[in-house]
Amino acid sequence: MIRWRGEEVVFESMDQCSDEAEDWFMDSLHMYKDLHVFQLEHPTKVIEWTSEKSICVAGYSSPKNEILELLLPLKLYAGGKQGLCPERDFKVEHGGFSEEPVECLRHIFGKRCLVSSGRNSSKLQVWDIGGDDTDIIRRTGVLNLSDSSPKSRKIASGLTEDPSVLHGYQISNVQLTELASGKVIYSIGSDSVDAVSGLQFVNASAFVVCGNNGSLYLGDTRDPKIECFALQETTSRSDWTFGLRSGQPESDSSSCTVARLSSSGQVFVSDLRKMSTPVRRAQINVQHGDASSEFLTVTWAPALDNALAVSGFDGSVLVFDTTSWTTESQTPEPIFVHRGHIMSCEMETDDSPVMVTTHAWHPWRPRTLLSAASDGSMHVWDWVDKNNETL
Amino acid sequence: MPDIKVTPLGAGQDVGRSCILVSIGGKNIMLDCGMHMGYNDDRRFPDFSYITQNGRLTEFLDCVIISHFHLDHCGALPYMSEMVGYDGPIYMTHPTKAICPILLEDFRKITVDKKGETNFFTSQMIKDCMKKVVPLNLHQTVQVDDELEIKAYYAGHVLGAAMVLIKVGSESVVYTGDYNMTPDRHLGAAWIDKCRPDILISESTYATTIRDSKRCRERDFLKKVHETIERGGKVLIPVFALGRAQELCILLETFWERMNLKAPIYFSTGLTEKANHYYKLFITWTNQKIRKTFVQRNMFEFKHIKAFDRSYADNPGPMVVFATPGMLHAGQSLQIFKKWAGNEKNMVIMPGYCVQGTVGHKILNGQKKLEMEGRATLEVKLQVEYMSFSAHADAKGIMQLIRMAEPRNMLLVHGEAKKMEFLKDKIEQEFSISCYMPANGETTTVTTNPSVPVDISLPLLKREMALGGPLPDPKKPRTMHGTLIMKDNSLKLVSPEQALKELGLSEHQLRFTCRVHLQDPHSDADTLARLYSHLKSVLKGYTVQHLPDGTVMVESIVLKVSSSGDDPNLKVILLSWSYQDEELGSFLSSLLKKGLPSAL
Repeated sequence: MIRWRGEEVVFESMDQCSDEAEDWFMDSLHMYKDLHVFQLEHPTKVIEWTSEKSICVAGYSSPKNEILELLLPLKLYAGGKQGLCPERDFKVEHGGFSEEPVECLRHIFGKRCLVSSGRNSSKLQVWDIGGDDTDIIRRTGVLNLSDSSPKSRKIASGLTEDPSVLHGYQISNVQLTELASGKVIYSIGSDSVDAVSGLQFVNASAFVVCGNNGSLYLGDTRDPKIECFALQETTSRSDWTFGLRSGQPESDSSSCTVARLSSSGQVFVSDLRKMSTPVRRAQINVQHGDASSEFLTVTWAPALDNALAVSGFDGSVLVFDTTSWTTESQTPEPIFVHRGHIMSCEMETDDSPVMVTTHAWHPWRPRTLLSAASDGSMHVWDWVDKNNETL
Repeated sequence: MPDIKVTPLGAGQDVGRSCILVSIGGKNIMLDCGMHMGYNDDRRFPDFSYITQNGRLTEFLDCVIISHFHLDHCGALPYMSEMVGYDGPIYMTHPTKAICPILLEDFRKITVDKKGETNFFTSQMIKDCMKKVVPLNLHQTVQVDDELEIKAYYAGHVLGAAMVLIKVGSESVVYTGDYNMTPDRHLGAAWIDKCRPDILISESTYATTIRDSKRCRERDFLKKVHETIERGGKVLIPVFALGRAQELCILLETFWERMNLKAPIYFSTGLTEKANHYYKLFITWTNQKIRKTFVQRNMFEFKHIKAFDRSYADNPGPMVVFATPGMLHAGQSLQIFKKWAGNEKNMVIMPGYCVQGTVGHKILNGQKKLEMEGRATLEVKLQVEYMSFSAHADAKGIMQLIRMAEPRNMLLVHGEAKKMEFLKDKIEQEFSISCYMPANGETTTVTTNPSVPVDISLPLLKREMALGGPLPDPKKPRTMHGTLIMKDNSLKLVSPEQALKELGLSEHQLRFTCRVHLQDPHSDADTLARLYSHLKSVLKGYTVQHLPDGTVMVESIVLKVSSSGDDPNLKVILLSWSYQDEELGSFLSSLLKKGLPSAL
């Protein structure tokens, strides 16, 4: 291929990509139905669905960052007419500027609104994504939290008519704030200083909080009391994160499965209505003993039974079928591994290995995932299940 | 204020017709002259009435520059030069000059022969138009006239595509045409030096997209071809041969080698000739400053790709065929298409845009039944795939280009302003420059701050320095007086005396005299004294002197008092001033006409 160096033209060999990468690229023809590889200007650690066809991403690596709402490539939605649709690109529908690195970003249920939390900040930013008449994501407000410690908050969208946001960095300060008034409409009644690694509403009033130590807390906004389900065994200094699987946002907690993932690769699967029963467990083969928990992500497929995706240990995303998992610990083989972020040769040598920062499932396409990595890459992929080939 | 005016021509916000007018330093330049492919009437041509209501454009334009051979950038050129009328120079790169007429002729044939259009340019017009073309080499400054110079830079995108720097004096504009910033398999990425133009003009069609990688597009292509071959189907790829075919051939060749595939790949003969032509153009174009080539093989010789014979189309079993023309509007590719269309195992891959009226366009719109010559209908059962391989710059690419060129202002054309506010803010924030987004037909005026170099004479400089004061400081400009002589193309600053001498002129002094009559019952000397006191009290801050020779001086204005023998109380005040003190002199005469205050 041809490269310009200053004013001169230089022909260079195409073997810039390693053989391994070439192999992966060739294998990808039968490993994936669809594969899209994008390069964002700055890496993101959040992928948040704002509609059936659009997601929001936000920068975290610079002092000043961008929040973007991206429309997924139309080709993915063309159905039977996919061949006639050449649109393979993301479209930047809306964009805004954040004065801080964005640690957590949540779309507020039912509204064109986002809430973000920064690193080491006691404020939450409220954004209006915007409609057809503008492409600017405007900050409409700031929530100054009662606890002013400069610690990043985890946030979750309320599921009620009136937009609200659940937030906190430790169990004792988890609160529900109404966006319109800025008023705190609920606070957890607990003194526990366990760090929060994530929280999520199961329905309009019931919610789950996952502690950094792996404990699960079940609460209800109608009652300040919460139930704590700590892990049976001590798991040294691992950090934990969680992923909730539920049918629809309105479903009651009786049909919720929750997976907990530790930075040492342990996965526990529990049923929210039977928290006292032994968990189903697995040990994922991870290279490093105890990875950093910054990018740990575990999610359930919304449209595929018992499919669990895990990332954050390295540059890959692992998909497991949990149907056969039992209460005895096992080391299951993933049904699919996405190595795209490691294999896509960008021809730039980076000192640190690429890490997948986050991933998300498509709301209704069974095997479509989106994944983002620390080098700014963003992939949209639809993998082929070798065991159930229904191409 | 010096400024540069930019006007994208044409009606509507649609993309598809690039034609931009730039007025810089008194020169008018037309950038690209594209055709809008979506319209069948005059809306497909740019609206030249902006330049002049009727008549030829020659005297209104200093030159026309075409960035590359795509029809949305050069499609209206013969119309403009031959039907509206323009006889000045048309600049484009060598490959563009070679390829443009071929595409224009093809386009003309489709429009006139197939669609029966009458208000269209003829083959002869295309030829006459191309006679006006002056070819450009990369990185070579071309003097259009004494004041206007242009320079082409590599844009990537397609063979021969260029970005152009237009310079008049110390003002300049860079127009990008279409370009890409991520290197391509055989075309590479755009490059420009830190030329710091006053305005960087860029298309914003893809400005709000994030482009899927080239590799993924290639993957999709290979996957589709492979799937078709596996099921025993045939793949038809209509191409225009230039660039696209070469790339796809290299791709298939590598793939076939790797997967050990046996199905034949054919290249139609018409294509082979064109490929050789392309190859020569390509090597010359990129040979401009080749340092070293370590290409592993000749990019234009293939192991698995053979020449096609039309009888092969009836052979059973899978095969891949590259054939021209690219839009399935005639010739071999259409013939093959007709044979293969009825079988759903087969596939046709369209690698680019198809003009309205062609079979390619129809099938890309999902048409399943086509009307052929002689009222025969063709059923389209084969799989139709539309794949876009063209390399364009996205938002990231635009930012990269701005970083390279460091323009003082940014101008984006062909976008909807309200859909690009974020990009505008981004550019303005990151680079602290203004970003303009004119609508079609709207003129943007960008004020420039050109520096005008002037030689200053040494004696004048020494004289200024002798006046003392702080040393000259770039941050604290000092006003100085001199005479500016503009001779030929140079500007010189000299003292007035020197200027007069050089120009052979003698210096004249201009003095005004005025008489004011006053009633004053005093002696002449006393009146003078009263005059002096009056002026001294009114003109604080000015030098007012009462001189022993019987005059009062205010700065350089002389005042004398006299009276006639007949009426000693009727005083005549004589004022005399040189024209430099005109203002003060006039003021004094008006003041004195009011009389002297009696209180003195």
